[in-house]
Amino acid sequence: MRVRRTFAKWLVVLGVLHGMVVCAGFFAPYDPVEQDRQSPYLPPMRLHLLDAHGHLHVRPFVYPLRLRESSFDQFEEDTTEPHPVKFFLRGAGYRLLGFLPLRMHFFGGENTRIYLLGTDAYGRDQFSRLLFGGQVSLFAGLLGAGVTLFIGWSIGAVAGYYGGWRDSLLMRVAELFLALPWLYLLFALRAFLPLAVSPLEAFFLITAVLGAVGWARPARLVRGVVLSAKERDFVRAARGFGASNGYLLRRHILPETSSVLVTQAAILIPQYVLAEMTLSFLGLGVPEPVPSWGNLLSGLQQYSVLVSYWWMYLPALAMVPFFLGYLGLASSFEERGAVYKIESRIWGM
Amino acid sequence: MPPLLKVENLVKCYARRSLVGRGEELLALNGVSFTVFPGTTLAVVGESGSGKSTLASCLACLESPTAGNIWFEGKDIVKVEERVRRQLRPQIQLIFQDPACSLNPRWSVLEILLEPLILRRKFTREEMKQCASSLLERVGLSPDFVERPPTELSGGQRQRLAIARALALQPKLLILDEALSALDGSVQAQIANLLRELQSSLGMTYLFVTHDLAMAVYLADEIAVMSRGRIVELGSAEQILDQPQHETTRQLLRALPRMTRALPAPEQ
Amino acid sequence: MMRYLLRRLSHALFLLAGVSILAFLFTALAPGTYFDEMRLNPQIAPETVTALRAQYGFDKPLPVRYASWLRSVIHGEMGFSFAYNGPVAPLLLVRARNTLLLTITATLLAWGIALPLGVWSADRLGRLPDRLLSWATAGLLVIPDLAVALGLLVLAVRSGWFPTGGMASVDFETLSPFNKLRDLALHMILPVTALVLSSLPLLVRHVRAAMADVLNAPFLLAAVGHGIRKRTLLYRYALPAAANPLISLFGFSIGVLLSGSLLIEVVMSWPGLGPLLLEAVLARDLYVVVGGILGSTLFLVGGNLLADLLLYWADPRIRTESGAR
Repeated sequence: MRVRRTFAKWLVVLGVLHGMVVCAGFFAPYDPVEQDRQSPYLPPMRLHLLDAHGHLHVRPFVYPLRLRESSFDQFEEDTTEPHPVKFFLRGAGYRLLGFLPLRMHFFGGENTRIYLLGTDAYGRDQFSRLLFGGQVSLFAGLLGAGVTLFIGWSIGAVAGYYGGWRDSLLMRVAELFLALPWLYLLFALRAFLPLAVSPLEAFFLITAVLGAVGWARPARLVRGVVLSAKERDFVRAARGFGASNGYLLRRHILPETSSVLVTQAAILIPQYVLAEMTLSFLGLGVPEPVPSWGNLLSGLQQYSVLVSYWWMYLPALAMVPFFLGYLGLASSFEERGAVYKIESRIWGM
Repeated sequence: MPPLLKVENLVKCYARRSLVGRGEELLALNGVSFTVFPGTTLAVVGESGSGKSTLASCLACLESPTAGNIWFEGKDIVKVEERVRRQLRPQIQLIFQDPACSLNPRWSVLEILLEPLILRRKFTREEMKQCASSLLERVGLSPDFVERPPTELSGGQRQRLAIARALALQPKLLILDEALSALDGSVQAQIANLLRELQSSLGMTYLFVTHDLAMAVYLADEIAVMSRGRIVELGSAEQILDQPQHETTRQLLRALPRMTRALPAPEQ
Repeated sequence: MMRYLLRRLSHALFLLAGVSILAFLFTALAPGTYFDEMRLNPQIAPETVTALRAQYGFDKPLPVRYASWLRSVIHGEMGFSFAYNGPVAPLLLVRARNTLLLTITATLLAWGIALPLGVWSADRLGRLPDRLLSWATAGLLVIPDLAVALGLLVLAVRSGWFPTGGMASVDFETLSPFNKLRDLALHMILPVTALVLSSLPLLVRHVRAAMADVLNAPFLLAAVGHGIRKRTLLYRYALPAAANPLISLFGFSIGVLLSGSLLIEVVMSWPGLGPLLLEAVLARDLYVVVGGILGSTLFLVGGNLLADLLLYWADPRIRTESGAR
């Protein structure tokens, strides 16, 4: 039962994190594609409580940024007037969960725009883009993992239960898929699909490709579980009571695969999010202007950006709390001894 | 009285397939024949590898024999159609050796107990509880076990549960495949007594597979000694005890501690 | 031993053949080819495109193309690169060599650090140093390799200590042999570090777990009772017993490192298989893609073969299993 409690704890943590991303419209102050050509590459604004005169403010506030004299890209704070951060204010419209039209945002600035994480080349708020990008990357990871697990589960169950030529054939094919370093395989699959697609098409394409790549390992695991479950006495007993194949699979054998599926999900989801990030970073994933954690980073491929604009690096770390959450989840689910077996499958297929 | 079970020249051959070269063949049963009359107990005794578990599986229709006939109440369950076999199946039930394995640890006692019945028709909650209670009482378990998960039961209690489950279908023949071997000494005796009680009250017929000759003598009317897939000696319990013919039988007898030789004859 | 080797070798060949067929099958699904891109180019006459298509046999059915590609492999060409206008094999060889250089160095380094660290940690299981290490590896584990690679790049750029990309400086050819080596090493530091950092936490945790299992074993406690020195105990008694899962991990880690190297090579502009594959994907240079995939598969399969042989040599049980045929 102690296992359950830590598992629940991690589930809550992940739930909160995912919740923030799902409600990106609310937590992000601005629209992710809204450009501000006057303010390209603004560094992050700092939140203050103590103003330039030494007074303590109740509300956190920001100083707007202005160009330093005789400089193209150096910014400094304009300390003439503090602009307090406002909470629960009206802003750009958005659709919560895709259908609920709302205008309320968690925070924002009154007369000035607040760029918590700076802006990119087009003056787009990186913080908002980060949250919305999370929607794309996380959802791609979740959906892709779902597809993979479904395929792997079905194939593993068929191979394990029916055995014979089906088993040999399916496992041979699985071996083929495992013989490729998976990122190469991902590239190969992505290579042979259309390059220039709309963001929505790209999203589903990537999900499908991700799903098709990783089924082999879950399939083998499920097969193993099914093979051993098949021979258990309570299954033979049920057969003796006159149970059909379908009943045995449904009521006795497949429930045994649940723990494998949960741990595999906790492993695959972060891995697939990372894969989406990699593909998008390299230009093979979700294209502009839709943000994803990957394409938020693709600016860094330019030397100038790398040198001067350090805040453009931050989306790379966006994944970290999620990774932690999934790692915690996977670890808490299995027994102590087997923990490291799971981890060996994380972050490297 | 006609025999309940008649086995004729049963042969079971396992072919071990390998990807290259010839597969090896394992002859588990090499022409086994015997008869069992209703209301009696036949013990099949032998060492591991003698084929007795294979025999149990074949009789319970969990494996299909390579050759031979199994006549149950006059019908050959090997040759008969699937549909008829499915009707006959409930009448032959198998109790496994290790109740920890033969009961699904994720299920509740209620689900385990009534699985054979639920497979056939739907029950209301009330009906299930009643049925479960009566089954549990019959094997000497208290009805409030229904709420407990099977992992909380002791080995002996679990085996009682397995027996109760098997009885749910009102079988005529109960095959016990080393059913007492996984239990502690005194628990073995308790379950053995339960079995004898059930036999006298329900008129059950038992096929008792074991490697423990002492237990066989205590429980059985007739004993068949198996070795390497064949029955090498067949006789009543007293005959086997006093006048063993085959070397295997003698070896088994020698393996018994002296004390058990002087067992009282089973009551009629 | 020979029969085992032969069996594993034929198995590996089967895998390579299977992968090549798989790769070729994907091309059948490809909605675009290099020539379609060419067609879009107004400077090239459509007849030229058609002629080129026929020349490279794109009009023929798939099995025929596969067969001619196989023939090309036997001739040592491995198909034709449209982008580079030459046979694929020489391209692959150079890039493959560079990738190998990176991957092998990173593997040796990573294991060289992970083994002692894991053993040390397992020896102090549960105590503070071990817990600190666990936290450190967990921390490293959750940082994506993309972040690690980019982070190192930022570091290089801002500190100016390391070259920020490529494999050789502009004036490479003019350097003395010693300086050439030094130049190469300098260029290798960042990508190798990135690779090692991304795979190290996994390895350390695994070594630690395997050692922890073994250290609990009765035979080891008996050895302690005999009064054997700690260092000997750990390395000559415990570690070999843990060899089995570790060798499997070794085979597995090669796959991890290869996948990781693809990204890191691209980010750090290291001229290996990774950037080649990416380019080819974007340009739809079909045979280069197939070649790149096969190259990486070859390394993975080869690495696993090596791991299998190591296992065979290390674990007597496998020898008797396969010997008793």
